[in-house]
Amino acid sequence: MTEDVKNALKQFILKEFLPEEDPEELTETTPLITGGVLDSIATLKLVMFIEERFGVTLQAHETDVEYLDTIAAIVNLVRSKKS
Amino acid sequence: MSVATPDNIAGQGSVGIAQPGKIGTGNFLVVLVQLGLLALVLRQFQIESAAFLRLALLAFGGFAVHALLPLRFRLPFFLVLSLVGIGIVLGISNGVWLVAIGLVLIGICHLPVSFDVRAALLLGACGLLIALRAEWLPSLWSEAIWPILGSMFMFRLIVYFYDLRHDKAPVSVTRTLSYFFMLPNACFPLFPVVDYKTFRRNYYDQDAYQIYQVGIDWMVRGVIQLILYRFVYLYLTLAPSEVATPSDLARYLVSNFLLYLRISGQFHLIIGLLYLFGFRLPETNHRYLLAASFTDFWRRINIYWKDFMLKVFYYPIYFKLRGLGATRAMVLSTLFVFFITWFLHAYQWFWLRGTVLLAWQDVLFWAILGGLVVINSLWEARHGRERSLGTSPRSWRGFTTLTLKTFVTFCFICILWSFWTSESVSAWLSLWTVVGQVFSADVGLSSGLLLGAMLLAATARDNSGGDGAGKRGQPKRSWLPRHVVTMAVLLLLLLAGVERLHTQIGTTIGTVLHSLRSPRLNRLDNATLERGYYERLLHVDRFNSQLWEVYTKKPTRWLDVEDIGLKRFTGGFVGRELIPSIVIGTSFGTISVNRWGMRDRDYESQPAAGVYRIAMLGASSVMGWGVGDGETFEALLEDRMTHERREAPIEKYEILNFAVPGYDPPQQLVVFDKALTFGPHAVFYVATGREGSRATRMLATAVRGSVEIPYEDLRDVIQKAGLDANMDETLALKRLQPYREEVLSRIYRRIVEGSRARGIVPVLIFLPQVREGTWQDETPEILRIAEATGFVVVNLADIFVNQDINSIRIAEWDDHPNVRGHRLIADRLYEALRGKQDVIFNTTKR
Repeated sequence: MTEDVKNALKQFILKEFLPEEDPEELTETTPLITGGVLDSIATLKLVMFIEERFGVTLQAHETDVEYLDTIAAIVNLVRSKKS
Repeated sequence: MSVATPDNIAGQGSVGIAQPGKIGTGNFLVVLVQLGLLALVLRQFQIESAAFLRLALLAFGGFAVHALLPLRFRLPFFLVLSLVGIGIVLGISNGVWLVAIGLVLIGICHLPVSFDVRAALLLGACGLLIALRAEWLPSLWSEAIWPILGSMFMFRLIVYFYDLRHDKAPVSVTRTLSYFFMLPNACFPLFPVVDYKTFRRNYYDQDAYQIYQVGIDWMVRGVIQLILYRFVYLYLTLAPSEVATPSDLARYLVSNFLLYLRISGQFHLIIGLLYLFGFRLPETNHRYLLAASFTDFWRRINIYWKDFMLKVFYYPIYFKLRGLGATRAMVLSTLFVFFITWFLHAYQWFWLRGTVLLAWQDVLFWAILGGLVVINSLWEARHGRERSLGTSPRSWRGFTTLTLKTFVTFCFICILWSFWTSESVSAWLSLWTVVGQVFSADVGLSSGLLLGAMLLAATARDNSGGDGAGKRGQPKRSWLPRHVVTMAVLLLLLLAGVERLHTQIGTTIGTVLHSLRSPRLNRLDNATLERGYYERLLHVDRFNSQLWEVYTKKPTRWLDVEDIGLKRFTGGFVGRELIPSIVIGTSFGTISVNRWGMRDRDYESQPAAGVYRIAMLGASSVMGWGVGDGETFEALLEDRMTHERREAPIEKYEILNFAVPGYDPPQQLVVFDKALTFGPHAVFYVATGREGSRATRMLATAVRGSVEIPYEDLRDVIQKAGLDANMDETLALKRLQPYREEVLSRIYRRIVEGSRARGIVPVLIFLPQVREGTWQDETPEILRIAEATGFVVVNLADIFVNQDINSIRIAEWDDHPNVRGHRLIADRLYEALRGKQDVIFNTTKR
């Protein structure tokens, strides 16, 4: 499941926000919020994708860097929500 | 809520760092050397205040110990250092009160009751503090702590309390107290809204040396910005009434916006200093001058504020409203954020200044900016925006588009900013009367240069707009060149601050460099400070941060010259006059006004035989605000001249002090007419600087107040300038500005001709204000006009040069001369008059 989540997230982020970027550059530890890839609008789009794609519900405080800054952190969030 | 744990762990991101907080000896010494150089620069350029220098030295010295401590002791050490810093800046007593109040507020956050009850208790505590701040209730502590207490808690308490609700991390008492009382805050009422989780999470989460080096670089960046700010503040800013051409307008708009360098510089200093203690916090702003859209501007100008808004307001509101649809929720949340931003700015103002300030410009500024951000956001939501993981290659078309967008955004922000900072909507509208004029070549040249600079910046622009502290997951940079560059910059700054080198460079550059070495009020704020003795100037509260800092030192119970009931209302051209036969006690001494309405001893209406009588005209410095009876320079001069200069037929000298506080040059004509009735042999007109500006301002005020002007030649000028009673003040001043010299000339000519016709010797004494800085811009004009109109001129412009200004004036916020100052003036004037005795005291001509 982890790999599926990771790949789905990576595909979404690349397609939606980094279409011109080399996919190899986006790793699971690439900072998304602190790195400036995700602003508030993009974060909300990502939240919507996560909720629809993985069937979880996020709360407002889970838009924080702690939860969404990297693909690895998002995977952890989704896993914790699912469990 | 978890139990407090030892502070022996670095932030969560330190996983992968071999020894968090560890620094090699070589790197440690490199950091120390840079801090030493930086301390010298801070001292040399008098960055911020003496209190900040003490705090910085404490921090740098503290760093030397802190960096060598085991990690588990560092946070407690930082806390102790912070508390010591509070004591150093505020004093022990104030510091204890501040910490005690803070502990109560923090304690409420951790009470063993429900979150809602704690929230209610916090609101209650806040209400009590509001009542104390507003002085509805008496407080037990000094008012000096309010700005710092407000700065520490007004926003961080909100963030902290929000995080308490959702944060699963164990609470650390030391970390919590460090967060609120953090070291640099004691010196800075305006402080970035540091996020608590970031403060915790980023603690020593990278190599220690890298953290320290970034901190030093940011402090150096802050110093450079503060020096640039001084240059803009002293040399580029204009008053709205001085905007006469499109070129002036461009200068006004840009320089006004560039004053933000002060905030940006301070924030860099603050965060850089925190880096020395392991707190790897984000950048406070990121190249905001290069914003390419309104949303981009909002994201760059104050990142901490933006993140605070997102976390506490935007996302929670959005999540609550998203049932209405994503777009609607986004629009409403964004508008709410800008409403809250406006409200919290007013809230901040209350804590810092103690007054509620509601201005239409504030409301409109945030409403307009909010609307633009909403429109921009909708566009971005639909079309996306360019993002990258690094510096992506652009086409020249891309550069050009980006540059044009940046230029347009910059221009628009400058215009909006000028609206926000204007005294009134009508004052702002009057700026644009110059737009119809022909644009001169220098406007085009300046715009071209600006576009060129932006194009260059676009080639190196970091499209990601990240936190600037290094992106994880990217290849490590070589740090070797960085500290070399930093040291070179610091050495250059030190060299620039060496006074002996200034004369080698050239007079103009040397003068500029010298002026940048210390904080001082510019000519506009000096004028405002002066007016502030007589008027309650609300706009001082809004954006004159330099002047406001002067006022914050002023005790609330300080008596200004207008506060002691010395004058009575008369109406007419002079408005007020000294109340005759009154004696008032002040902290400076007794002020006695004789039966003729002069602050002086009693005199007969006509001089006796053998008496040489002088009528002295002037304003509050001449009247002697700040000293007691007999201590004014006029009284001292009179006594000395009588005792030391008696030569037949003169047996005695009388100097009648006709000076009235607040009188401007046109009003001195009324005083002159009164003085003539006392039979003087000489008239001493004491000019104290900015005569022309004060004269035109007084006339503009008189016209707008429909006050009759009793002098035909002045009425002629007003008619030529096209003033009327309904005109906005800024426009009226602008209209009169070209006639400034003519107004002054007519006033002086009246006095000279009126004196000469009666065989009276007219003498103009130029006496500067007791302050340093760029206030003497009109002095050459005053002296030239005085000579041309026929005054005997006594120029004391250099009287305070090489004097310790603070020892000869009452206070930093009240630069009337004190007792020592008056003695200095009396002695110097005596000598100057002796040099012109043949011209002034030649009684054979009468």
